[in-house]
Amino acid sequence: MIHHSTAPSFEFNDIGLADDQYAVRIRNLSHHFGTGDLKTQVLYDINLDLKRGQIVILTGPSGSGKTTLISLIGALRSAQSGSLKVLGKELVGLNKAQLVEVRRNIGFIFQAHNLFDSLTASQNVEMAVELLEDWGEKRAKAAEILAKVGLASRVHYKPKALSGGQKQRVAIARALVNEPALILADEPTAALDKKSGREVVTLMQKLAKEQGRTILIVTHDNSILDVADRIINLVDGRLESDQSLETFVNTHDPKSLDRRMFIM
Amino acid sequence: MKRRTPLAWSNLTYERRKLVTAIAGVAFAVLLMFMFRGFENALYDSQIQLLTRLNGDIVMVNRIKYTMFVPEQFARRRLYQAQAFDGVDAAYALYIRDGAAWKNPQTKKVRALRVLAFNPSEPVLPLPGILANREKLTMPWTALMDEKARTEVGQVAAGTVSELGERQIEIVGTFSLGTDFASINGNLVMSDQNFIRYFGQVGPDEQSRSLGTVDIGLLKLAPGANAEELVQVLSDRLPKDVSVYTKEDFVKKELDYWRNNTSIGFVFSLLTTMSFIVGIILVYQILYTDVSDHWAEYATLKAIGYNNVYLLTIVLQQALILAVLGFIPGYLIALVLYDLTTNATGLLMQMTLWRGVNLLIATFMMCLISGLIAVRKVQATDPAEVFS
Ligand SMILES: Nc1ncnc2c1ncn2[C@@H]1O[C@H](COP(=O)(O)OP(=O)(O)OP(=O)(O)O)[C@@H](O)[C@H]1O
Ligand SMILES: [Mg+2]
Repeated sequence: MIHHSTAPSFEFNDIGLADDQYAVRIRNLSHHFGTGDLKTQVLYDINLDLKRGQIVILTGPSGSGKTTLISLIGALRSAQSGSLKVLGKELVGLNKAQLVEVRRNIGFIFQAHNLFDSLTASQNVEMAVELLEDWGEKRAKAAEILAKVGLASRVHYKPKALSGGQKQRVAIARALVNEPALILADEPTAALDKKSGREVVTLMQKLAKEQGRTILIVTHDNSILDVADRIINLVDGRLESDQSLETFVNTHDPKSLDRRMFIM
Repeated sequence: MKRRTPLAWSNLTYERRKLVTAIAGVAFAVLLMFMFRGFENALYDSQIQLLTRLNGDIVMVNRIKYTMFVPEQFARRRLYQAQAFDGVDAAYALYIRDGAAWKNPQTKKVRALRVLAFNPSEPVLPLPGILANREKLTMPWTALMDEKARTEVGQVAAGTVSELGERQIEIVGTFSLGTDFASINGNLVMSDQNFIRYFGQVGPDEQSRSLGTVDIGLLKLAPGANAEELVQVLSDRLPKDVSVYTKEDFVKKELDYWRNNTSIGFVFSLLTTMSFIVGIILVYQILYTDVSDHWAEYATLKAIGYNNVYLLTIVLQQALILAVLGFIPGYLIALVLYDLTTNATGLLMQMTLWRGVNLLIATFMMCLISGLIAVRKVQATDPAEVFS
């Protein structure tokens, strides 16, 4: 276990790997909120690499900076210092318009599905396709991805006619339809019951593995840890540990982990 | 084919009740603007409706008659003098008596009417009802009644007998003109000979009239003559106790008087502006509520890569849709109310293409301004906040 005093850096030893084999490369990233007397640091000197094709779960206590980190990686906030390369592009120093461009290559899944009630499942997904100015095939693309998330028979339903899990699956379809190389999900199961949460995550895992996507999931939900290739723990704005699933389970108090994950 | 998902339309029409309320709000603002503008125009239009119908290319009045309200006449020989000029084909005299005491045949109450008199063999005021009854006007103690006179004047038709200035009068027909500020209750038309019968010899407090003085002189141009040039010549050569105008200028002068010397313009512009602002606030409320209700969804659009320009077009599209959907019922209801108002008051409420287009543009402006204010809310949304 690595402690606060030393800033841990992970996977630095893979020196042989070229830049484009990483979806995310972070060096000495710190982040502050506020200015003047109210200025508080929430991320301390983060070093982290995410290899392409990996499914990584980011956990940690409430307020530890998980959402801040994932929103920096997602180009939703301006990165302030250090280096943050996402899909080969340096984000530190980009302006708002450039950040928007970066975001078009990332799939986002949020805690809330954030679908427009007035649009059908298909139309909600098509909104993402339209970003690529892909007018001819947007219908077909939406229908295809909705079929993949198991909603082939619900393509023209509006959100009010879908269950919570189905709505979240539409949101996943919206995040995946443009085949982004990087998918970021912040508590994607928090609004769902255990069973639908489980289904949603398994679905994400399946699609990612099929298509070689990198996924970073922030979650408190221990029952979904088993989908991860890596589990990263963030405490008080510092990377605490970075382990494979087995090591994580062994080094953590089993009582705090959901028993069900061992059954699966 | 480039077909975007119609997000603006879908959001606006998703909840029917909200949509109906929104349209009603816009329609109400549109209706208010139409009514206030309508009243304003009606007041102006009414003031010139007699003048525009007079049959003359050039108008001659007493030098100090700067508005129709001033009861000053000029010598009839000036009209003969003018007639002698090259380019003048005919000269007609119009005699006017404001405030003639008419007795309502039913209630016997006295109401003031304006009397318009001329030689019935001349086409001075060529309205259908007048042209049809020229013969009857030549009989003594007769007149024609304005159909658009106020109801206080009483039920009057051909054959009605009542009193004018304490003398018997027989109504031998009707015509259609309408009221204005100088003839609040309505108009009577009679021959110049009858005018003398009624007003040639009146009590000591009133002015007795003769055919030697004229209220308004009308000149008809010979073919090929130029009105502006002739006005110039007549103004130079005739004695300075008369003023000569083209009919167009005379009408404009009368309008200017009402525009510049009364608060009609100010009051109604203020009311129209207030309706406009009420409309802005209403539409802003509607758009703002839509943005707030869909805040997380709009922020998500920004997160996945839509920019502020796109969100701006969504809100402005909604604004324009509301403008069109609200304008149509507002316009139609205004048409009905214009009709009702005209019938009830005799005021000339006219919808013209230009006035309709004008307010359509105003409605677009109204909604665009609301849209621009409301959109600041969307632009302020921080895409990072969808993650929290
Ligand atoms: N916009 C902001 N302005 C100021 N401080 C913020 C802002 N967002 C987050 N913080 C602070 O930064 C710290 C990290 O917040 P963050 O949301 O990243 O934590 P988290 O790990 O996602 O927590 P949780 O598990 O509860 O979602 C917290 O102390 C929080 O109060
Ligand atoms: Mg969080």
